[in-house]
Amino acid sequence: MQAGILAWILPGAGHYWLGHKKLAAVFFAAISLPYLTGAAIGGVKTTLNPFLNHWLFLAELGVGSYTAAGFFLANSVGGIDARETAAIIRRTGAFSALSPERQNARESQIVRYVSYYPSADVAQIYLAVAGLLNLLAILDAIARAQTGGEPVFYHELATAAARRAEGAA
Amino acid sequence: MSGWELLAQVPFVHPLTIPPGARMWFFLPLAFCVAVVYRATRARSTEGLLRGALITFLNIVVGMAAIAIAAYGLHQAVLYFWP
Repeated sequence: MQAGILAWILPGAGHYWLGHKKLAAVFFAAISLPYLTGAAIGGVKTTLNPFLNHWLFLAELGVGSYTAAGFFLANSVGGIDARETAAIIRRTGAFSALSPERQNARESQIVRYVSYYPSADVAQIYLAVAGLLNLLAILDAIARAQTGGEPVFYHELATAAARRAEGAA
Repeated sequence: MSGWELLAQVPFVHPLTIPPGARMWFFLPLAFCVAVVYRATRARSTEGLLRGALITFLNIVVGMAAIAIAAYGLHQAVLYFWP
């Protein structure tokens, strides 16, 4: 279980803890690269905002530390938090009650942090895929912790071979 | 310039602009990362991992291209038979 938690906090950390240092480096690079690329292209203000796209944020939560850091940054930058950013972009909540002049002023405060098509599309796909890939890595780390380091694929092969041998005997 | 405004000039805070035509090319590195992670979950060690990942990457690219061509053909057929 510790391996799974470590893998959730940082891609590859679970495998490193289990002693698979080279595999850990592979997982770290192959998951961090798309995640950080997506965050850099889209900017954290709109791509790491649970109030704008719940499902995207759920997928991003697959990588715990990066998403926590990105959410903290999204909340801090520009003096407008994530919830208010979502309200401004969707033109809902207290924002909709403001005068047109004040609405324009609030929008101009966040416009430099907001990504648009096609950057927003690419960023969302990269972030979601990276988060889901880390779920795969977490499950693999948990499986390896239970099977003495063997990936599930080989563990199943060995189990099937043992069953066949028992059947023949 | 305040500290936050200075920070806004760095990646992760200020979004990057990519040209519209480049969007499709971003599929290739992402597909390679998917292939690497998938093969790594089935590997005992990193030996032969790159070769396996390249084969999986090609499978993904060819498969996705085949799906795109089939979808395009279906789209054209629908337009032809039900204009």
